[in-house]
Amino acid sequence: MSAFLYGVALQWKLDIRSRALLITCYVVPLLFFAVMGGIFTSINPQAKDTLIQSMTVMGVSMGALIGLPPTLSEIYGSDMKKVYRANGVPLYLGLVSVFLSAFIHLLLMSAIIYVIAPVAFDAALPVSLPAYFGSLALFTAVSLSIGCVLGLMVKRPAKLTMISQIIFLPSIMLSGIMFSADLLPRFLQVIGKLFPAAWGYDLMAKGGFSLGSLWPLAAILAVAVFLCGLMLHKLKSEA
Amino acid sequence: MNEAIKVDGLKKCYGGHTVLKGLRFHVGKGEIFALLGVNGAGKTTALECIEGLRRYDGGSVAVQGRMGIQLQSATLPEHIRPMEAVRLFAKWNHAEIDHTMLAALGIDELGKKQYAQLSTGQKRRLHLALALISDPDIVFLDEPTAGLDVEGRVSLHDQIRRLKAQGKTIVLASHDMAEVEALCDRIAILNGGKIVFLGTVEELTAKVGSHYTIHIKTETGDACYESDDIAETMLTLLGDFKQKGIAVLDIKVDRGTLEQHFIDIARGNEA
Repeated sequence: MSAFLYGVALQWKLDIRSRALLITCYVVPLLFFAVMGGIFTSINPQAKDTLIQSMTVMGVSMGALIGLPPTLSEIYGSDMKKVYRANGVPLYLGLVSVFLSAFIHLLLMSAIIYVIAPVAFDAALPVSLPAYFGSLALFTAVSLSIGCVLGLMVKRPAKLTMISQIIFLPSIMLSGIMFSADLLPRFLQVIGKLFPAAWGYDLMAKGGFSLGSLWPLAAILAVAVFLCGLMLHKLKSEA
Repeated sequence: MNEAIKVDGLKKCYGGHTVLKGLRFHVGKGEIFALLGVNGAGKTTALECIEGLRRYDGGSVAVQGRMGIQLQSATLPEHIRPMEAVRLFAKWNHAEIDHTMLAALGIDELGKKQYAQLSTGQKRRLHLALALISDPDIVFLDEPTAGLDVEGRVSLHDQIRRLKAQGKTIVLASHDMAEVEALCDRIAILNGGKIVFLGTVEELTAKVGSHYTIHIKTETGDACYESDDIAETMLTLLGDFKQKGIAVLDIKVDRGTLEQHFIDIARGNEA
């Protein structure tokens, strides 16, 4: 256990040293929040009701879908995985430690938005703090699990960036955080529902655990965990 | 002999291509053993099959003792510091950190440098330290001095000799005959997935014969002579010069390193 915890803590420190993750988990989401928070609430005062949720969904999606995959790809796409195996470090450590570390970073970023939004933009706080952070934790886990699948599946950095963007952009544009999803054509609404951002935003905005938003997230998480397990097994037997 | 490793009929295929064609050898405890071959001969594949990092398709491998492995293509996260890597690997191996070993390898001097900032030699030393973390009985080193400067090579050779003095068995893969000649007790030369020579460096020398090149500098100029009988040729040459009254200023004798013999054997054009 001590070795595992050391691995997670070490990964957390490495993530802080890595500018790429710092940018995607903190700098860009918080800058986006600072700029767009002002714009959203000026154009539409009703945006204050869901500003915390929408900015958080954007930040978590960015960190999970764009920030995390390259770190995993660095480990599993290179001979680093062989070094780990050769020296008695289990193959899953990289995946789990990167996941947990990013989870903590994204929760911290979300907490910053949660604290600053009411002060800076007069944003409304979620009704129930435990329900909000519970929903946030689930949404973050689901988003990170998709990031993990991408990081394990795609080895080439250029391809990884492209695929990450292909998933990230519709997540943001079609989830309803920028504008109401009801304004979109029907087929785009359906496409939007394929991404966890739409369900996560719905879950957090409603302020409680509604089954309608919960099960799609649970289903996406289950599929992603299964795929990660499959790919780890494949990596292990590739030799 | 007390065997640390026994390889019997080791076979490995990639698709339809057989890269190891029934390797058979053993490594004695406390021995420095080298797998030699040109690039693509199958050294790394053989080593990784023995280490358990790669599956093989036939034969058997028996390893007696704990293994420490330094890979040829080893890499670590670019932001990790050397001591963080040492602690991580020590914890996973339930091993106490041997600060004497780290000091001998100069790991503590690396301080807060991150992996990406280390030189090739420093990275090699770090990976060797990680391979030694669990105080292994058998140490595998794949091209340990590749990319190192002269000072780095000499330093790493000293480390390897120190490990042998501690009673560890060392198996290394190399394509550098001079390195192997300086370090190893026995060698196996691989060519096309087969062992084409197995024995000591002395046995290899005896197998290929001794050929000498004699460079003589005299007051009248330089001359070069080839010989298979060094004593006879030298006596004759010096007698001739003396008889003609020519002063000999310098003599240099090249035995011809094992390098050329190795290349001939490894490429299958043994003389």
